[in-house]
Amino acid sequence: MIKILFALLAVLGSSIIGLAQTTSPTQQPPPAPHTNLKVGDKAPDFNLPSTIVGADNRRMRYKLSDFKGKKNVVLAFYVFAFTGG
Amino acid sequence: MKAYQADIAKFEATDTQVFGVSIDSPFANAEFAKQIGVTFPLLSDIKHTVLKDYGIFNEDGGYGNRTTFVIDKDGVIRHIDEGNVAIEVTGAENTCNILAHKKESPQ
Repeated sequence: MIKILFALLAVLGSSIIGLAQTTSPTQQPPPAPHTNLKVGDKAPDFNLPSTIVGADNRRMRYKLSDFKGKKNVVLAFYVFAFTGG
Repeated sequence: MKAYQADIAKFEATDTQVFGVSIDSPFANAEFAKQIGVTFPLLSDIKHTVLKDYGIFNEDGGYGNRTTFVIDKDGVIRHIDEGNVAIEVTGAENTCNILAHKKESPQ
């Protein structure tokens, strides 16, 4: 009787492990896309609100075209705030 | 973002404006900037338009891939870092140095 119980437990245990193994690939996040832009391409313009408060007490907007002929621009896209990096 | 902040003087010395971009609100980004001591502007792409324009919007997850672009004064992309490499600032910094020297060299 005890032997049968152990056998049942073993079968149950291995099926749970098997289930976990087959479901794990679906839990992976979707692959992150890679940009289609290349070095030498024209950078698309942007016009976005920022964290900087201007003289008028409002949050400043920045446009890429504002820097043309004036400064190089580094655009560092990060996934979410509070994730470090 | 901390890595850029640590080297912000080097970027400024090469005539470069640094921006962080995320899909967070300006308020969330401002709090984030305060917590980690970031002084350069963080931009909010809430509608994902810029992420889509730069080809890094993830339709499934709805979030951007970590990517850094260096754009010169003519609006041309000069350097791209993607994924974990984009946490490092060395590649972007080297490109900015080259761009700065280009400007100074007599032609």
